[in-house]
Amino acid sequence: MSKITSSSTAEYFAKNLQQVGFSSPSKAVLTTLKEAVDNSLDACEESGILPEILIDIQKTGAGASRNTDLVSIIVEDNGPGLDPEDLPKVFGEYLASSKFGRGRASRGQQGIGISAATTWAQLTNASGVRVTSKTKNMRKAVSAIIDVDIKQNRGILKKKETIDWDKPHGTRVEFRIDGRIVLNGDGGLLTYLEGTTLVNPHLSITYKLMDQEARAIPRVSNEVPEIPAATLPHPHTMKLGEFMTHAGLFGKITLSNFLIKGFSRVNEATLKELVKKGVAKGLLTKNLSAISEVEYKKVYQALHEIELVAPSTRSVLTVGEEALSKSVQRLGETDFFSVVTRKPTICDFKPVVVEVAIARFTHLTSEANDAPIQLLRFANRVPLQFDKGACAITKAVESVNWRSYGLNQPKDSVPTGPFVYAISVTSPFIKFKNASKETIDGGEDLVEEIRRALMQAGQKLSRHIKAEGKAADLERKISHMEKFGPILVQYLAKILGAPKARTERAEVGLKKLLGRDASSAEAELEQATSKLQQLKDKQRAKFGGDDGVTPVHQDEVDAAGTPSEAAVEEHEELAARDLKAAALKKGTKKKADPAPDARAKK
Amino acid sequence: MAKIRIRDSKIDITKEAKILCESILSDLEKAKRPVLEAVKCSLDNSFYNSKVGFLTAGDKVVKTELNVSSVQKMTRTIFMLEILLEKLVGAATHTKREYYYIVKGMIKKNPELKALDFDDQPESDAIIDFICDMLEVYREEMNCFANDRGGQTYSKNLVVTETMSDGSTAVVDLSSLGTTPFQPKNKPQQFKLKPKKGKIDFCLVIESEGTANTLVANGMHIRHNCIILGAQGVPSNGVRGWCKTIQDQLKIPMYFYGDLDAYTLQNIFRTLKAGSAASLIRNADFSAPDVRFLGVLPEDVKKLDLNYYDVNDRDVAEARSLKKAKDALENDPFFQDKKNKKLADILHWLVREKKRCEQQAVFSVDPKDPLILEKVIIDKIKRGSYV
Ligand SMILES: Nc1ncnc2c1ncn2[C@@H]1O[C@H](COP(=O)(O)OP(=O)(O)OP(=O)(O)O)[C@@H](O)[C@H]1O
Ligand SMILES: [Mg+2]
Repeated sequence: MSKITSSSTAEYFAKNLQQVGFSSPSKAVLTTLKEAVDNSLDACEESGILPEILIDIQKTGAGASRNTDLVSIIVEDNGPGLDPEDLPKVFGEYLASSKFGRGRASRGQQGIGISAATTWAQLTNASGVRVTSKTKNMRKAVSAIIDVDIKQNRGILKKKETIDWDKPHGTRVEFRIDGRIVLNGDGGLLTYLEGTTLVNPHLSITYKLMDQEARAIPRVSNEVPEIPAATLPHPHTMKLGEFMTHAGLFGKITLSNFLIKGFSRVNEATLKELVKKGVAKGLLTKNLSAISEVEYKKVYQALHEIELVAPSTRSVLTVGEEALSKSVQRLGETDFFSVVTRKPTICDFKPVVVEVAIARFTHLTSEANDAPIQLLRFANRVPLQFDKGACAITKAVESVNWRSYGLNQPKDSVPTGPFVYAISVTSPFIKFKNASKETIDGGEDLVEEIRRALMQAGQKLSRHIKAEGKAADLERKISHMEKFGPILVQYLAKILGAPKARTERAEVGLKKLLGRDASSAEAELEQATSKLQQLKDKQRAKFGGDDGVTPVHQDEVDAAGTPSEAAVEEHEELAARDLKAAALKKGTKKKADPAPDARAKK
Repeated sequence: MAKIRIRDSKIDITKEAKILCESILSDLEKAKRPVLEAVKCSLDNSFYNSKVGFLTAGDKVVKTELNVSSVQKMTRTIFMLEILLEKLVGAATHTKREYYYIVKGMIKKNPELKALDFDDQPESDAIIDFICDMLEVYREEMNCFANDRGGQTYSKNLVVTETMSDGSTAVVDLSSLGTTPFQPKNKPQQFKLKPKKGKIDFCLVIESEGTANTLVANGMHIRHNCIILGAQGVPSNGVRGWCKTIQDQLKIPMYFYGDLDAYTLQNIFRTLKAGSAASLIRNADFSAPDVRFLGVLPEDVKKLDLNYYDVNDRDVAEARSLKKAKDALENDPFFQDKKNKKLADILHWLVREKKRCEQQAVFSVDPKDPLILEKVIIDKIKRGSYV
C-alpha cells in the first residue's frame, strides 16, 4: 500500500488528529458524524443501494476534558455491511481503504477518516467504536467494539457477539467522545445534514439531534448515482513528488509499463515522443525500483514538454438539475430557486464538473436583508464547513458582479440577501488546501468554471428579481396617483380660485391620464412575465416531455445559451403569477381607459 | 407696505404663477399631460461672454411631464407654490429651513396631505429652487432666504442707506462701528451706498473672515481709504449681491485675496466674479465681474518664498480638487474664455505643480511684523500684481 511503515502511521495520526478535523470539541463531533455518513453513502453507492441513514446524537454526560460533554453519535445505514474479518481493518487501521488512489469521485479517498474517529473516541473516552454489521449473506449481525492499537496500526476486536438484527444488511456505528454539540452556523451539525441532504437527492435520512424532534426527510430521486469507472491520473496534473509517489504504488514493473498503465492519455506514441525529447531507450525498460531521483526528474520534465490529449471527463458525476431542483425544495419552502449543472470539463488538466443551486427560502426572507447569503460548498458531495475565505468556491462567488443581477453586494465580497447558494465541485482529483479537506485549492481555470456556473444561475435569478421589481413598481405607481392626484387639483384650484365644476373636470382628466400610465405599467409587467414564460416554453419544446425528467445534455444547453429550466419552470411560473395578482390586489381596481396609445407622448 | 426690490424686474410673481397654474389645470381638464419647464441650471447650459461678465443660461430646459413618476414632484411644487404666494402677499419673510417646518406643520394639521411629507430639508429646498427656476425669479424675491453667512464689512469712509419695510430709512455710517463689522443680509442690492467724503480707493475681499478681521484690527482700514470685506468661504447669495452693489454704485477697483488652490479659484473666486452654473437665472444680480484676483499668485510663492503644500494624490479630497481643476479647464466656459486666460493659467500651474499655498502664508515672510500682509497687499495693488 504505502512505503511508510504501518506502525508509524497510526502514531503519526494519533498525534496529529487536529489535522484531520479533530481540532476542537465541536469539530470533533462534526467530523465523526461526517466520516461515518460519508462512508455510508459511499458504500451504498458502490453497491447500488438507495441509502437510508438514521442518525442520533445525544449529550450523555460530562466529558473527561474541560469544557466538553460526553457525546454519543450513532449512524446506521442500510449499506452492504462489512465482512466480520474486515471490521478491525476498516475501523482500527489507518490507510486501509477500498478507495485509495483509485481516481474516483467518491467521498472518501484516503482510508484515514473513520479510524481517526475511533482514535479520538479512544483517546477521550478510553473506548473505541461499537460497530454492528451484517452483509446479505449473514443470518445474524456481528457486533463488537474496535480499538486502535496505536503502536501497531492495527484494529483490535473486543466483546464480539452475534445478535439478531431485523435489517437484511447494513452497518451501525456508535461513538462516544468528548465533544460539544453545535447545531447551527457554518460549522454546525444541521448545516452539514442539510447540505448532505441537498446534494444527495437519493438519500432518505432521519435524524434526531439532542431533544429536538426527529426529522425524517424522504428521498426525491430513486436513482442511485452511478459512480463512473475510475480514471487514471493525467501526467500533466502531477508535481514531481506526486509523480514519484505514484510510481511507488506500482512496484516491480518497467518505466514504460508504469507510464502506460499508471496514467491516462499515455501510449506507445507518447513513449516515442519521450525518446525524441532525449529520454534514453534504456531508461524506459529499466525497472522502477532501479530508477534514481534524477532520472525520474528527467522523465517527468520530458513528459511535461509533450502535448497530451486532455483527460477524459467521463470520470465525473453530477447530481443533475432535475434532482437538485427537487432536493432544494425538500429543505424548506422556496419562493425562488435556480439550478445549473455545467458540462464536465477540464480544469488544470483534471476532469471537473460544477453544479450550482441558488434558492430563496421563505423562512429566511423575514431576516435582515443585509446579511451575507448562506454559502454551502461541496467537494465530491461532501459539505465543506470551515475556512471558507481561502476556498476557490468563495473566490468565484466574490468575483461575480451580483449587482447586475439585482442583488446587493458589498465590494469584493459575497452578495447579501435571504439566499442560499449551494455550489458543488466534483472531480476524482480535487486538490485541497490541507489534510482536513475543508477548502478547495483551485487554479484560475477552476475558479473561472465555477464563476460561469454562478453567472448562469445569476441570469435566471435576475429574471425573477426583475419581474418582482416590476410588480413592486406597479404597486407603487398606482398608489402614487391615488395619493397625489387629488391634492394637485385641490391646490391648483386654490391658487386660481377655480370653481368646483373645473376641479371636477380636472379630476376626471387626471384619472384618465394616470390610468393610462397604470395600464402601461401593467403591460410592462405582463411583458416581463411572458418573457420568462417564452423562454421556458422554448426549453420545454427542446427537451420534450412535460415531466422534465429528460436528462439535460449540456452541449445543447450551451448552444441555447441558457441552461435548462425545465425543472424549475412551473415553480417560477406560479411565483410570477402570484406576484402580479398581489400587486393588482393592493393597487387600484379602476383600470380606466386602457387605451392602446398608453404611453405615447402628446 | 413698501416693496423692497432687488432689480427692476417686470415679473409679477403672483401673476406668473397664476398663468402657470391655469395652463396646468386646463390641460388636466382636457386629459392632456401638463408639462412644467424650467431653465436647465448646469454647466452644459452655461455660457460666458466677457462683455457680459457672468455666466448666462443657454436655451436648454428641464421638462417635467405629468405621469405616475412625476406626479409627486408636481404636486409638491404646486403645494409649495401656494404657500410661498400666500407669504409673499402677506410680505412675510422666512428662511428655507423655516419653510421646511411650515410645510411639516401644515401636513401635520391636515392628514389628507400626508403623502406630501418631506423627509428632510434638502427635499423642500429642491422644490423651492425648482419653483424659482421655473418662474425665473430670485428666491430672495419670493422673500425666502438662506441663513447667509459672510460679508462682514469695514470702512472708515462708507455710508449705507437702507429702506425698511415700513418705508422709513436707516443710515449706517461704517466709520462709527469701530472693529464691529457691518454685515448685510437679505437684499443688499437695494442699499444706497456713498462715500462719507471724496472717493473710496478700493475694495478688498478676503477669503478668510478671520484674516479680514486681522487687517482691520491692525488698522488697515484707518490707514487706507478702502472697504475690507470677509467672504467666509464660498460666497453666499448675500455676499454676492453685496459685492455686486459695491461694484455698481461706487465704481471702485475690487480685489480678491485668498488661497492659491483650485477650490478657491473655481468655487470662491469664479462664483464671486461670474456666478455659478447652479444659479444661472440670478448671476446678473449676484456677481461682480470687475473683481480681480490679487493673490495668492504663483509668482508670489516664488518671489516671497512662501511656504506651500504638496497636493497629495492619495488624499481623496485633494485629488478630487485637482480633477475638478482639470475638468474646469475642459468644460467651464469661464476659464475657457480668452479674457480669463491668466486665471486659466493659474489652474494649469496648479495641475502641473501639484502645490497649494494658503493666504496666511504671507505671515511667514516676516514673522515679527503683524502688518506684513497689509504691506504685501498694498505693494501688489501698486505694482499691478493681480490677474
Ligand atoms: N458503513 C460502511 N459500509 C460499508 N463499508 C464501509 C463503511 N464504512 C467504511 N467502509 C469501508 O471501509 C473503508 C475505510 O473507510 P475510511 O473512512 O477509513 O476510508 P475512506 O472512506 O476510503 O477514505 P477517507 O479517509 O477519505 O474517509 C472504506 O474504503 C470502505 O471500503
Ligand atoms: Mg471515509
